[in-house]
Amino acid sequence: MYRETGLVNSPPPSREEDSVLLGQVRQGNDQAMAALYDRYSKIVYSVALRVLRDPSAAEDVLQEIFMQIWRNPGGFEATRGSLGGWLAVVSRNGAIDALRRKRPMDPVDELTLPSGYDLANEAERNSMMEKTREVVRQLPLEQRKTLEMAFFDGLTHTEIAEMTGDPLGTVKTRIRSALMTLRKALTA
Amino acid sequence: MNTARHFEPEDLALFAMQLLAQDEAAAVAAHVEQCGACRQSLTEVQGDLAAYAHTVDLHTPPAEARERLLKQVAREKKTIPIDRVPEKQEPEQETIPLASYGRGLGRGAYLPEEDAPRHSPAGRVLPWLGWAAAAALAFAAGNLYQQRDALRSIIATQSSTMNQAVPGVAAARQVMEALTDPTAKRVVLNATPPEKPTPQGRATYVASRGTLIFVADNLEPLPPAKVYELWLIPASGAAPVPAGTFQPDAKGSASVLLPTLPKGVEAKAFGVTIEAEGGATKPTLPIILAGE
Repeated sequence: MYRETGLVNSPPPSREEDSVLLGQVRQGNDQAMAALYDRYSKIVYSVALRVLRDPSAAEDVLQEIFMQIWRNPGGFEATRGSLGGWLAVVSRNGAIDALRRKRPMDPVDELTLPSGYDLANEAERNSMMEKTREVVRQLPLEQRKTLEMAFFDGLTHTEIAEMTGDPLGTVKTRIRSALMTLRKALTA
Repeated sequence: MNTARHFEPEDLALFAMQLLAQDEAAAVAAHVEQCGACRQSLTEVQGDLAAYAHTVDLHTPPAEARERLLKQVAREKKTIPIDRVPEKQEPEQETIPLASYGRGLGRGAYLPEEDAPRHSPAGRVLPWLGWAAAAALAFAAGNLYQQRDALRSIIATQSSTMNQAVPGVAAARQVMEALTDPTAKRVVLNATPPEKPTPQGRATYVASRGTLIFVADNLEPLPPAKVYELWLIPASGAAPVPAGTFQPDAKGSASVLLPTLPKGVEAKAFGVTIEAEGGATKPTLPIILAGE
């Protein structure tokens, strides 16, 4: 049975609908903005909360990201892949920035996702989330922990190597291997 | 790392997670800007990371967050600038397209009826014109068509400008230009005093007696219902041993004196994490302070 996806209480979205909503946001339509928020606030907030472990700080990241969309809806283009995937990674990066107390968040994250991941489609997203969780659960413990430390805790490979006592190369390889296993499973 | 060679996928993954040092990240950014193969690899890695991000347990943000966002949106909605076409236009021809462009539509698309400004002169006048005004409307439509083309041209130009102004792209371009500029001045900067004191802890530990004294300064205040927890990391590789919880005072100072610890446990390192009140049996990342 699928776990909660954060997309309940909304009709099944599609990438096309996302682009339509973004187009309406570009026109200054605040209702479209609210619809995008209702669609993706859970994943954005959850990723930030996982990184920061602080609801208030996660809420700040959430607010900042959606205000970026409002101010510059052109910052995301359909060619960059799915809006949901983009937002998840932007949320992670923004939260890591907040964690490090770095500079304020960049207005947009210049990243592009492959078109194979249609995270805006609810059914596909549900399936992908379940599959991804299962793949991650089955990763070797060292790979799983290393990827988690790098992605969700924002630890550099040097920091991870110092903490685990593993060589730098091993840390990098574990991250890479974990991501490759994930990719193969999702594209199989 | 070398910008002349392709980057290993391992390095691209670290770059995608913003975990490289500044100079390494700049080198990767400059290389990726010009290398299609590495750009493709990076795109794939970003996709992997997006998928991985979706493994989090989902939490619903507070209802107030939505309210706060929409209020901010409403506030900023009023400040969106309205560009104007330099030529003087007939009122009924001017209002609809300019308003739509000012609100960011700007692609020659017609506004849906419900989105049209309520004070549109056309909206007020149309019911009264009837057939007698058909010819005038046809003329107006022709002008609108021409105006739409003009606006399309303006928007195409401005879209191009905006794309160039997307900070990420601009930043990557600037990085590349600066790195390859032979006239660039290169300066090595040394550490300067931090803007705010860095949290620091000092542990004194005698393994044979199980005696531990820990003093910390400049600690950040904790969220409600949270405590700092000190951990002893055994040299044997055994699980971290909890060595006491503590709260900083108003100045960020705290101490743990003589916590209950087994004797004879050699320590490889010490660490401090943030845990729920009452402490934890296993440390929760991230590690706030660490030292060997």
